[in-house]
Amino acid sequence: MDMICFEDVTFAYEKENMVLDHLSFSIKEGEQVGLIGANGAGKSTLMKAMLGLISYEGHIYVDGQEVKPQNYAAVRKTLGYVLQDSDNQMFMPTVFEDMIFGPVNYGMSREEAEKRVEETLARMGLLHLKNRHNYKLSGGEKRMAAIATILAMEPKGMLMDEPSTALDPRNRRRLIEVLNELPVTKLIATHDLDLVLETCDRVLLLDDGKIVADGAAGEILRDKELLERHNLELPFCLAGVRIK
Amino acid sequence: MNKTEKALREIQAMDELAAMDSPIHRLAPLAKLLVTVAYIFVTVSFSKYDMTGLLIMILYPVAGYQFSLIPVYTCFYKLRIVLPLVCAVGIFNPFFDRGIVMTLGTISVSGGVISMLTLLMKGVFCLMASFLLVATTSIEEICHALRQFHVPRILTSLLLLTWRYVSLLLEQVSIMTQSYHLRAPGQKGIHVSAWGSFLGQLILRSMDRAAALYESMELRGFHGDFYYAGQKKMTAASWMYMVVWIGLFILMRAYNLPQILGSLFV
Ligand SMILES: Nc1ncnc2c1ncn2[C@@H]1O[C@H](COP(=O)(O)OP(=O)(O)O)[C@@H](O)[C@H]1O
Ligand SMILES: [Mg+2]
Repeated sequence: MDMICFEDVTFAYEKENMVLDHLSFSIKEGEQVGLIGANGAGKSTLMKAMLGLISYEGHIYVDGQEVKPQNYAAVRKTLGYVLQDSDNQMFMPTVFEDMIFGPVNYGMSREEAEKRVEETLARMGLLHLKNRHNYKLSGGEKRMAAIATILAMEPKGMLMDEPSTALDPRNRRRLIEVLNELPVTKLIATHDLDLVLETCDRVLLLDDGKIVADGAAGEILRDKELLERHNLELPFCLAGVRIK
Repeated sequence: MNKTEKALREIQAMDELAAMDSPIHRLAPLAKLLVTVAYIFVTVSFSKYDMTGLLIMILYPVAGYQFSLIPVYTCFYKLRIVLPLVCAVGIFNPFFDRGIVMTLGTISVSGGVISMLTLLMKGVFCLMASFLLVATTSIEEICHALRQFHVPRILTSLLLLTWRYVSLLLEQVSIMTQSYHLRAPGQKGIHVSAWGSFLGQLILRSMDRAAALYESMELRGFHGDFYYAGQKKMTAASWMYMVVWIGLFILMRAYNLPQILGSLFV
């Protein structure tokens, strides 16, 4: 069954500039998809459309339900969204309270939610952040905590907007491990192509609001010419590194 | 650290105070909210010449700060910007109200001086009481208590968002002044020519961030209810706290306790 389905979706912030240009594609349940594209390609906008945060033309279906106001609650429960900017995501005073927020709002008892939060933090190796104040976290710590808040909700699908920015190598590695252990459907928007190579089977290449390539990660990420035409480069691990 | 950044840190540190633990912190938010409201109501209702009667009202904030383990100093320090305003409210009274109401030895005191002092006391007392509430109760808990009290969702959400918005605004000010000064070394303050764009940017940016934060709350199932804050129940202690204090306030208002106590000894 399709987890996410776009049918002829069009959107523009300002009339002349199409940001999403008649997009159609679908993602099956359990698929791990990398959404790649240069800065400004429309990756974040595409994710916002799926959550009903912007009003577009066309149809989007999430887990069989059309994205429209009366379904927003259900859609947003289905898809966990890691924002591009973690500062916008964390609004409670401490990491712990932030993580409790989602599960309790969706009707879980506080005790259960606390247990879930502990488990999630342990799995991500972040227990030391539990009672830290959000505004005192470093950029990378905040990012890991933001990812944890979404994981704690155990959504059926995850949308991650540039999850690896600001992470040091160790946290990036941990993120990759956590993602690979997580069986849910994932859509990861990024230009960190190495991350995509390690976590995704399929790649959608977005440029100027259009999907210009859709296929197996191993193939698209090796296609130097295709990537360069769309302002991207081969993943480092495939490019061979030039040392100056 | 610049001035705004400091102010920001202090407001954020309010959350830390509220996250501490003490007998007062453990009470149900609803009880604390009602006591605070009753306190402010009673304090404000004293007549403007009733300085001796009002004096006893200091009992509540003093006891509150003792038991919540928050130094009174913290309150005055954090509120040092608003304190002068509160103190200045009655400053002209002595000029308008010159009737003599009291003589202390050879000094005669006019009604204006007394009413200025009572106004000042009322202001400071209420400020201390409100600060005590905010320092021992998180904003979510206060909103939750208000909801239990059937205050409409729209108002409680507004309160919550205003609280968060103030810190967002200050954060933006501090980020923007920092990046301004990094590129304008040696300048004091921000040059007048940049005020317009600075202010405009500031408003746009903090509105953007406020909208993004609200979106992020909605994405995680927030619909104006504060389930996640409501773990402190109305315990026996909370009921006691509420009944005893409100009872005391009424007594303090109805009888001039300092005078009665004084007359016992004379
Ligand atoms: N709020 C906005 N108003 C107007 N234009 C916007 C807004 N947000 C993004 N854009 C524009 O839309 C395009 C796509 O942005 P975005 O989806 O954020 O790209 P990506 O996430 O792929 O880097 C960019 O050209 C950007 O300038
Ligand atoms: Mg983006």
